[in-house]
Amino acid sequence: MMTVFREIKKHPQNFIILFILFIGISVLLFIFRFDSHSQRRIVYFTAGLYLAWSLFHHYKRGDLSLSIFIEYLLLALLALLVVVATL
Amino acid sequence: MGRFLSRLFIPQESNNHRALILQPSFLGLFIAIYLLNQSLLQSLTIARPGILGYSSEITADKVWTLTNQERQLQNLPILQYSSVLSESAAAKAKNMFSENYWAHSSPSGKVPWDFFREAGYQYSVAGENLAKDFYDTESLIKAWMNSPTHRANIINDKYQEIGIGVINGVLNGMKTTLVVQHFGTPLDGRVLASTPPSSTVNTVQNFGPVSSIKPINPALISKTLGSIMFLIIIGVLIVDSYITLKNRTSRLTGSSAGHIGFLLIILALLIFSRQGTIF
Repeated sequence: MMTVFREIKKHPQNFIILFILFIGISVLLFIFRFDSHSQRRIVYFTAGLYLAWSLFHHYKRGDLSLSIFIEYLLLALLALLVVVATL
Repeated sequence: MGRFLSRLFIPQESNNHRALILQPSFLGLFIAIYLLNQSLLQSLTIARPGILGYSSEITADKVWTLTNQERQLQNLPILQYSSVLSESAAAKAKNMFSENYWAHSSPSGKVPWDFFREAGYQYSVAGENLAKDFYDTESLIKAWMNSPTHRANIINDKYQEIGIGVINGVLNGMKTTLVVQHFGTPLDGRVLASTPPSSTVNTVQNFGPVSSIKPINPALISKTLGSIMFLIIIGVLIVDSYITLKNRTSRLTGSSAGHIGFLLIILALLIFSRQGTIF
């Protein structure tokens, strides 16, 4: 966990943006907790934002590469698959 | 075997200082395993319809009682139980099973009002609430009350009567219980107080042959498999971060903090998601 905190300390503004996004998304998911259609749409939107954030974060860090983007893409894809199958 | 497991979970020189599980090839493998699981479940719905599905203990009388309890909380008069509207609600549920759809309008173009008319119910105002895959009536009513449009039907002061259809059947190869609420006020304004559904008689009907064997819940299988995958990835991300810090390794990888945050949100959604869908 220390590396995670060190990483956050290095680029606080990037993680503040991500933190605000995640809080907003959690609130939306809670509001629509009985509406799986809306929850699904929120997760599609979250996956899109997560990918956009990854581009922004790694571009700012100067280490944006295809392999890094694929890592984010695969995690987002796995999350979407599980949510679509479950909700 | 031990060495392979160590490479799988722990960053070291032999795995280019990144646990194999976190590398794109293994993330792709997770996706492939999940897709295989979904394909197997889908094949089962085709090969053995009714094996997978959702069991339910919902009855029409409980739906009627709890709907009226919600109205009484709003100081509204209770809805009289209408056997004609119940006929129309049951016909709608059976139509969804026979035409294999889940919506207010059928693929053949039938709209809710067609079922009201076919049952012989002339209305001045009318409405429809749908639900499927719920286990108990309490969570079903809660879901409707938390959706603005469904809630508006339940606490609409223009409605005077209600009909409820609770039908078991097989939809898209899965055993389920469809619940249909039809609300209305007769055009002539004459509300006939019909006998309410009784808890002593069976208020649940079957559409087609429905086995009495409890079905296997497919969403639970998908949810469990997904949660296990996310827990493994989150755990390995934490171990990976710790060892990388300890060894002061510099690598080109995605942000562990970002990944953990994203996966935790999805995991929380999976854990707290409820069974059942409303429309």
